[in-house]
Amino acid sequence: MSPLTTTHHATATGPVLRVGGDLDYEHAPALREHVERVVLTPGQCLTVDLSDLQFCDSSGITALLAARRHTQAAGAALVLAHVPANTLRILAIVGLDQVFTIHPGSGTV
Amino acid sequence: MCRRTDEEPDPGTDRATDAAFSALLEDSPEELYEQAPCGYLSTLMDGTVAKINATLLNWLGLDRETVIGRTRFADLLTVGGKLYHETHFAPLLRMQGQLRGIALEMRAASGDRLPVLVSSTVKHGSGGEPLLIRTTVFDASDRRAYESELLRRRKEAERARAEAEQARAEAERERERAEQALRQAEADRARLTDAIAALQRSLVPSALPAAPGLESAVYYHTASPDRLGGDFYDFFPIDEDRWAFFLGDVCGKGPAAAALTSLTRYTLRAAALHDPEPAHALATLNTVLHEQYTAAGDPRYCTAVFGIIEARADAAPDHRRIRIASGGHPPALLIRAGGKADFVPTPGGLLVGILPDAPFTTAHTTLAPGDTLLLYTDGLTEARTGPTRTSLFGDDALHAFITDRRPAGPQELVTALTGLLQSFGDGLDDDTALLAIGVPETQPTTTTATNTPR
Repeated sequence: MSPLTTTHHATATGPVLRVGGDLDYEHAPALREHVERVVLTPGQCLTVDLSDLQFCDSSGITALLAARRHTQAAGAALVLAHVPANTLRILAIVGLDQVFTIHPGSGTV
Repeated sequence: MCRRTDEEPDPGTDRATDAAFSALLEDSPEELYEQAPCGYLSTLMDGTVAKINATLLNWLGLDRETVIGRTRFADLLTVGGKLYHETHFAPLLRMQGQLRGIALEMRAASGDRLPVLVSSTVKHGSGGEPLLIRTTVFDASDRRAYESELLRRRKEAERARAEAEQARAEAERERERAEQALRQAEADRARLTDAIAALQRSLVPSALPAAPGLESAVYYHTASPDRLGGDFYDFFPIDEDRWAFFLGDVCGKGPAAAALTSLTRYTLRAAALHDPEPAHALATLNTVLHEQYTAAGDPRYCTAVFGIIEARADAAPDHRRIRIASGGHPPALLIRAGGKADFVPTPGGLLVGILPDAPFTTAHTTLAPGDTLLLYTDGLTEARTGPTRTSLFGDDALHAFITDRRPAGPQELVTALTGLLQSFGDGLDDDTALLAIGVPETQPTTTTATNTPR
């Protein structure tokens, strides 16, 4: 297992949160806490860049859903970018590919 | 030769030495009496002091004039000493003629007490009549102080011993309390284990019921050390011709997940009896979970496969129709009698409980003799494999595993998969549930229901 890494920087459309490592039961709460601290204004877009994500289980899905609630509460949007194929498959299984806005692999962030 | 002259004392030299010593050491008997290192006094038989030496006067701080002929020996003593003198000392002295080393206390002019050791002898006349009493007095202050010190030390030692004894008793009581606490903790743990086991039995059935014309098998692995799993399953009759089954996975682990599991299981059972349309049962569960958790600000959800297995009116009685719906759950696998395996597509199903209105659709398939339907949770397909535990087992490997082995019937299938799960070792870090339902190839007269020990 690899530890979770989260870094974030601001862009013109809103903050970008880059998540790497394992998003599992042990590490998902760290992402939830990080997302809670991101300040959003209405109309902004929070981009969660998953290009370095190694693993994502149901706890990771929960953390992403929490991020979605957080952005909705702030009147902002959430975009998942560079979602690894494996995680995309899981999102499809649980039907969340219809719920999240997902930017395909190599979009600009 | 021996030098004998050296060994024989010279009488003349000895006499000279004795005289020199006498002259040097004692001027006179009178001087010796007055300045002796002990007190001397002589009294008449009634105790009146007739003679007293300077040493004793000095100790008592008295003048000779105020003592001689005016004071009795007993008057020089403390009240206690005087009493002892009258009741014991004087009578004994008259009887025995002498007394030695009697401890008394004298009273000095300053009021100080002087502990002394007194010896007295009665001097008799030529006719044997008692004439006077000669008394020596030794200062016993140091000895008394020494005795006091001894007594004090003995008391200290006794107190220390008592304290040590008390500390030992306290330590013993502490040990007993600790032992009792340990016994209590063990009893609590046993009770908690029982409670968890009872709770766990309420989450999944302890044994699957025997369904006429069907065979079923189940396996459940809990990764959590308290054995409260987040996976659930059930298999139960709706009416004479229809049986319901479900299997799923709630988010999270431990007691909170167990509470969600319990709510999910009983909601699905009740929903199935009310309206056994799979999509409707999942919609009911979605409403309940969303209202209970997500709408209340505590998003929790589950994935679930729900199905109804029923007799077909338009076919042989050993052919069954299956209606099945999924809420964000990995697709079920249908293994045909010939060994061909296919995932049962259940499109459109969303995680149960995250959105107020989630779409669920019911898919259909059939179960012919020799066919087996396998439901599983993602503990199986998400198990980490490979030497570094970095790759996931995955759907394709599951499909290949089953196609290779062609297990005949639910029990053989679950046994093979149980072996597979055990081969994952610590790569299996999530709860895993397996539920297989099939129609026996050759219709048996009785059915088997198996619950593999968890």
